[in-house]
Amino acid sequence: MSALGQALAIAKKDLRIEVRGRHVAGTILPFAGTLLIAFGLSLGPGRSLLRQTAPGLLWLAVLFASVLAFRQAYQAEGEDGAFESLILAPIDKASVFLGKAAAVVVELLALEAVVVGLVVVLFDLPVGHAPVVLAGAFVLGTIGLAVVGSLFGALAEMPRTREAIFPLLVLPLCTPVLVAGVKATELATTGPAGQAGSWLGLLLAFDVVVTGVGSPLFVYLVED
Amino acid sequence: MASLTDPDALLDEHKPDAGRTGAAPAVQLRAITRVFGVAPALVRVDLRVEAGEVLLLRGPNGAGKSTLLGVIATAISPTYGSGTVFGLDLVAGRDEIRRRSELVGHRTRLYEDLSATENLRFVCALHGADERRVDPALERVGLAPVAGDRVRGYSQGMRQRVALARAFLRSPDLLLLDEPYAGLDDPAKDLVDEEIRATRARGGTVIVATHDPTRGSAATRSLYMDGGRLLPELRRAAR
Amino acid sequence: MSTAERLMSSLTARRGERVLAWLAVGAVGVSAVLSLVASPPDAEQGGLIRLMYVHVPAAWVAYLAFAVVFVASVAYLRTRKTRWDRVAAASAEVGVLFTALTIVLGSIWAKPVWGTWWTWDPRLTTTAILLVIYVGYLAVRRLPDNPARRARWAAVVGIVGFVDVPIVHLSVRWWRSLHQAPARLIGVPDVSGSMGVALGVGFIAFTLVYLYFMALRLRVGRLEERVVAEALSPRIGQPAEALMEEPARG
Repeated sequence: MSALGQALAIAKKDLRIEVRGRHVAGTILPFAGTLLIAFGLSLGPGRSLLRQTAPGLLWLAVLFASVLAFRQAYQAEGEDGAFESLILAPIDKASVFLGKAAAVVVELLALEAVVVGLVVVLFDLPVGHAPVVLAGAFVLGTIGLAVVGSLFGALAEMPRTREAIFPLLVLPLCTPVLVAGVKATELATTGPAGQAGSWLGLLLAFDVVVTGVGSPLFVYLVED
Repeated sequence: MASLTDPDALLDEHKPDAGRTGAAPAVQLRAITRVFGVAPALVRVDLRVEAGEVLLLRGPNGAGKSTLLGVIATAISPTYGSGTVFGLDLVAGRDEIRRRSELVGHRTRLYEDLSATENLRFVCALHGADERRVDPALERVGLAPVAGDRVRGYSQGMRQRVALARAFLRSPDLLLLDEPYAGLDDPAKDLVDEEIRATRARGGTVIVATHDPTRGSAATRSLYMDGGRLLPELRRAAR
Repeated sequence: MSTAERLMSSLTARRGERVLAWLAVGAVGVSAVLSLVASPPDAEQGGLIRLMYVHVPAAWVAYLAFAVVFVASVAYLRTRKTRWDRVAAASAEVGVLFTALTIVLGSIWAKPVWGTWWTWDPRLTTTAILLVIYVGYLAVRRLPDNPARRARWAAVVGIVGFVDVPIVHLSVRWWRSLHQAPARLIGVPDVSGSMGVALGVGFIAFTLVYLYFMALRLRVGRLEERVVAEALSPRIGQPAEALMEEPARG
C-alpha cells in the first residue's frame, strides 16, 4: 500500500474511533461553548464590543479546542499501547503524521462549524457577507493547527511526558494561524473581503512550510 | 561457571559462533547494551539464534527479557552494540525486520473503541495482508462470537487472544512472545503453544520470554537472564 | 574532524576560553565608552538613544543563537554526534538570556519614549514569541532521561521553531501595519558616523560575549556527559572514555 494509502487508512481509523467514542464532540465541543460564554461574560454585555472582538474570540476558542483535540487523538493510541503497533509497522512514519493530522482537520472543521454558529448567536457575527473567504480561512487555518498538533502530539503521548508541554510548544508556533485567521475572519465578515487574500496566502504558506518540515522530522520524534 | 561480575569471562563461555555452520542466523546480537538514564537494562548481550529454533528466555522480573525482545523487534534501539535480524542491521534494516517479525508483548496494543475485527483489519491495512484472513484468525482463537464488539469491553484474556490472532494473521518469520501465558486460562495457553508450533512448522523462529515453569515444552533451547545479562547455557537440549 | 569541529575544539579549550574572555571584556569596554561618551545624543530622544547600543546587539545575538540552535539541530540529526546536541543546548540557554535581555531593554526604552511598557512593535513581539519558543525547547530537553531521545526531540523543536519564526514575524508585521503608520522601530534613527561605529562595536562586543558564554557552557556540557559516563561505566563494564566517544544511538 502506498504511503498515501497508509495515511488514509490511519485517518479513517482515527475518524472511526471519534465517531464511536465521540471524544471531540462529547467533551471538546461543550468546552468550546463554555469558553465562548465565558468570553461573553467577561467582555460584555455591550453588543458592539462583542461584535468587534468576535473573530478573535472565535479563533481563541478554536485554538484551545484544537489543543484538547490532539490530546484526545493521541490518547486512543496510548490507552493500550497501540501506538507501538503503528511504529512497528513497516510504513513511512510520515504517513502516521499526515493521517492523524487529516483526521483532526475533519474533526476540527466539524467543531468549527458549530462554534461559528454559536458565535453568530452569541456575538452577532455576520457570516453571510463572504462565506467562501470565511470557509477558506477556517480550512487553511485548521490545516496549520492540525499539522503542528500532530507533530508535537506525538511527544505528549510518549511515556513520561508532562502534558503541559504540548500547549507550550504549539501555541507560540501557531501564532501566524491566530493572527491571519482572525484578520481574514474580520475581513470576511465586516471589512472588505477582497483584502483577505494576503492573509489567506499567509495561512497557505504556513501550511506548506510546517507540512514540508514536519513530515521528514516526525520519525525522529517517535522512533526510539 | 563464570563469575557474574566478569563480563569478559561471560563472553568466552558463551562463544556465540562456536559450532554453528550454514545459513545466516535469524538473530545475531553483539555486545548489546541498553541504558535507561544511568540504569542499565541490558549489559553486553551476545546472542545467536538460528532459524527454526524455539528459544526460551527465563529469568526473574526486571532481568531485561522484555527489553531484549524489544531490541530484537526494533521497538527499542540499543545504546551500544550492534546486531542483525535475518542478516539485516537493527537500525538500517528496521522496516524489513518489522515486516517479518511480530512482537506479542505485555500490552495488547488495541484500539479500545474499535472491535476486534476492525482492529485486525487495520493491521492488515498497515502490513498489506489480506483482510479475508481476519475472520478465520479470530475464529481460531475462539473470539468469533464477540468479534464485532468493542475491545473496551474485553477481558484481559480476550485481548491477549486478539493479540494471538494478530500474530497468526501476520505469520511472521520471527515470533517474539513476552510473557504470553500470563493471565491466560489453560485452553488459551494451549493456543499459544499451538502458535509456537505452527510458526516452527513453517520454518519460522520463536523466542519466548516467560517465568511460567509449566510451559516451554516446545523449546529447543533455554537461556537464563539476570540483571540485564544473558547467562551462559548450562546445557544444550538436543531435541 | 571537520574544520567546524576543529574550530569548536580550539575555541572551547581552556586557553581559548581565556582569550575569548579577555576579548569580550575589552570589546564591551570599548563599546561602553563609544556608546556612553563618544557618540552624540539624539535630537528627539536625548540620552535615551544610548539604549540602542545594547538593545539592538542583544537582539542580534538572540537571533544568532537561535540560528546556531537550528544549524546544530540539523547537524545532530544527520551525524548523531553528541557534540552537536551540546552546541544546540548551550546556544539555546545563552540565547534565552539574550532574548530576555532584548525584551527588557526594549521595554525600558519604550516607557519614556512612548509612555507605555509595551508597544506591540512587530520586532519586539516576534522576539517575545521567540522567547517562548526557546523556553519550550528547553522544557522539551528536560523531559526524556535518555540522552539520545532528548537530543532528537530537541532537534526537531529547534528546527521547526527556527523555520517558523520568519512566518511569525511576517504575520505580526502585517497585523501591526493595519493599525498604525508603518512601524518605526522604537525610535531607531538613521545611524551614521560615530553612531554607526558605536553600534558596530556593540555588535562585535555582544557576539564575543555570546561566544564566551558558549565556550563555558560547552565545557559544562562535556563535564555533564563525563559524570553520566562515569556513573555508567562500572555498571556495564566499559571504561568511561569509551562511553563518551561513542555517538548517542537511536
